Amino acid sequence: MRFMVIVKASKDSEAGVMPGTELLAAMGKFNEEMVKAGIMQAGEGLHPTAKGARVKYSAGQPAVSRGPFDFNSDLVAGFWLIQAKSLDEAIDWMKRAPFGGGAEIEIRQVFSPEDFGEALTPELRERGARLQAEIDKK
Amino acid sequence: MRFMMLMIPAGYETAAPDALPPVEAVAAMMKYNEALKEAGVLITLDGLHPPSSGARVSFAGGKPVVTDGPFTESKEVIGGYWMIEVDSRDEAIAWAKRCPASNNEVIEIRQVQEMSDFPPDIQQAAAGLEKLQGGSKR
Repeated sequence: MRFMVIVKASKDSEAGVMPGTELLAAMGKFNEEMVKAGIMQAGEGLHPTAKGARVKYSAGQPAVSRGPFDFNSDLVAGFWLIQAKSLDEAIDWMKRAPFGGGAEIEIRQVFSPEDFGEALTPELRERGARLQAEIDKK
Repeated sequence: MRFMMLMIPAGYETAAPDALPPVEAVAAMMKYNEALKEAGVLITLDGLHPPSSGARVSFAGGKPVVTDGPFTESKEVIGGYWMIEVDSRDEAIAWAKRCPASNNEVIEIRQVQEMSDFPPDIQQAAAGLEKLQGGSKR
């Protein structure tokens, strides 16, 4: 099973305050452990919402607004994609993440074609597989 | 520049653990995904199971505390994402506007941090990160 680990934004991350060398080194070590264990597939940080935008879909034209967006605990600062046998295994790994006080992460299972059952027609499945194959080629 | 397009569907915060998107929506989205791919813009994409089947880990007191979903205080949750490569935020916005999204959905566009965005001392502390980001292949 694949999981996305969403790292929540903090006032610091939204203000563009970069993590210190100590935290970067600890995080690098944690990442190395996860890669060695075959857990980590990807991990990225996102620039603050000040450099972002939102597109809202309502009747007619999509409405665009540019960041920064009001701070709330639902904003995202970064993510990992990990491979684990269960949600519990994912949680156990993430409990070891070297976060200081205040940080919060959310762990969510990624959809795979099997999750859709018969609703995903063979044609749709085939198209999805083709797209995935091209993505993996990169 | 890489951008993440985060899909935020209103109501997904209270969706049942086994909730699936409607097949027609998946089919329309597949066309959009293929258009992104054909334009050479798409890096990867994923859909996420509802938060009610996920978990959160918070590090408030330095010790990890686990909370199972659903997360009642959330106003917004992520339903999925695209990672794209474009020349500017405006180009990312233009792509987001083409998404066949529903009226309850918002796409947030966020620039991904690249190593070259950081000052030299941080680049040094994070040396080797890019190698890890390739991660273990699925």
